[in-house]
Amino acid sequence: MRKVAIVGAGMTKFVRRALETPKELSFQATKTTLDSCGLTLDDVDCVAHGTAPDAFDGLHQNGEYMVDGCGGWNKPTMRVYVGGGTGIHAIAHGWHHVASGLFDTCLVVCEEKMSSAMPHAQAFFLTIFDSITERALEPNLLWIFALEMNRYMERYGYSKEDMALVAVNNKLNGLKHPASQFTDQVTVEDVVNSEMMAYPVSRLDVSPVSDGAAAVLLASERVARRLTDKPVWIEGVGWSLDTAYWATRDLYYPRYTDTAARMAYEMAGIREPAKQINIAEPYDPFDYKALHHMEGLQLSPRGKTVELLRDGHFDRDGNLPMCPSGGLLGVGNPIAAAGTMKVCELFWQLRGEADERQVPGNPQLGVAQSWGDLMQVSSVVVVGI
Amino acid sequence: MGILQRITRNIDNRYWDPGLIGFPVKNSYTAGVAGQRFFEEIKENGRIFGSKCAGCDLTYVPARIYCERCLSGLEEKDWVDVGDEGTVYAYTEVHQTKSGEAKEKPSLIAAVKIADGLLIHRLGDCLPEAVHIGMPVKAEFKPKNERQGGIEDIKYFKPF
Repeated sequence: MRKVAIVGAGMTKFVRRALETPKELSFQATKTTLDSCGLTLDDVDCVAHGTAPDAFDGLHQNGEYMVDGCGGWNKPTMRVYVGGGTGIHAIAHGWHHVASGLFDTCLVVCEEKMSSAMPHAQAFFLTIFDSITERALEPNLLWIFALEMNRYMERYGYSKEDMALVAVNNKLNGLKHPASQFTDQVTVEDVVNSEMMAYPVSRLDVSPVSDGAAAVLLASERVARRLTDKPVWIEGVGWSLDTAYWATRDLYYPRYTDTAARMAYEMAGIREPAKQINIAEPYDPFDYKALHHMEGLQLSPRGKTVELLRDGHFDRDGNLPMCPSGGLLGVGNPIAAAGTMKVCELFWQLRGEADERQVPGNPQLGVAQSWGDLMQVSSVVVVGI
Repeated sequence: MGILQRITRNIDNRYWDPGLIGFPVKNSYTAGVAGQRFFEEIKENGRIFGSKCAGCDLTYVPARIYCERCLSGLEEKDWVDVGDEGTVYAYTEVHQTKSGEAKEKPSLIAAVKIADGLLIHRLGDCLPEAVHIGMPVKAEFKPKNERQGGIEDIKYFKPF
């Protein structure tokens, strides 16, 4: 396998309701990415793009529909779709294209426009659950995650205030992100007292519904070294799917993340992730999920994560900054694009280009993770400079 | 394996009504940055706009905000009034409804070439036997007070 670097990144603003069509959002992210590294479409060999459920954009074959906005006109393109895991799965997918030697450059573009779902994107989730045993109970993601959050908190004795601290930190980080859809700072009290949706999930424990797109450009070593003196190398990729059957899962431990992370770390030659990784961007659609994933990513001992969080270990100037971008809670959650946004963040952080959000101390190694499908996929990428 | 129903002739497998499973959500769509302006022009002024990529010498109809070939942004200065006339690039005569029943009267659908783009639309004021590829056609707009800002603000294209 050849070395692969990220050489450019770009994204749209994340918003609640965009006028732009999915194609137009894709175009904006793609164009910004090409401009960021001074390339044109002629320099792009192939496209690996992703969107999560077609239902959100309301377009069956959404991947095919988006192609021209992603710069895929008349080029080899392949869409990835693993629900919320898509944004980083697409990076692994693009990595294959270049690492295999088949292509020298690959545009990775992920987009989601959730506002087309009426009255709310949440209701589409009804059809992802088992049609015989579960659908009759009218499940939605909120109460399914409420079960997981409840089990996780109970297992380690965490409180709602503990979980709320993640939402507060991430939203605070997000205020420094120019693409964030938020403008207000929130407190632990705000989160805990926000509208109860499905115990223990309150409204501010959850990331918002968003529209947006994000992209990166991948290049082989030869091309990357010609383009930039600061390529960000993809050191490892990993992904894994657990069973979709809830009854055989722990709920309090994301085994799928564990497996995916170990695969990526092995490829990257990382033996002690908690010591070696400088920045973590775990997937945080819910506040508890960031901590849940930190444990799965081997970046925090099980059951000790809240203690580390309260000690400032995961702050921007802590030992292992967590979600310096603001994450999904702080920037927004256009499903597939949210994962790619995390990789964009690592790209900017490792190059020292994250402006107000910059993690101090010249970080060298970062990990980003996304999660989704039937709540059982994790995709992990390790990048370094 | 239990069989609840077996269809032995494909033709019996008619259509599927999504209403039967009570799917709870609908989608609503925005026309987009380019689409918004494109349909405003049709609604307010009865004008069809394209956008031209000077580099690729290509005029897209309907207008877009980017060129798919080179990914240049297409801006205000690139918008061109392409007129309301075009030619039939391809056509079909539709005999069945979407659920497979015979239509009372077949309808004509055409891909109308305007500048470098194709608009898919109905043909009207036109006998089926008269339609041919290359036939010049012109947009018939609805009266201004009936226009909604959508593709059906054009009633159909007709020969002239």
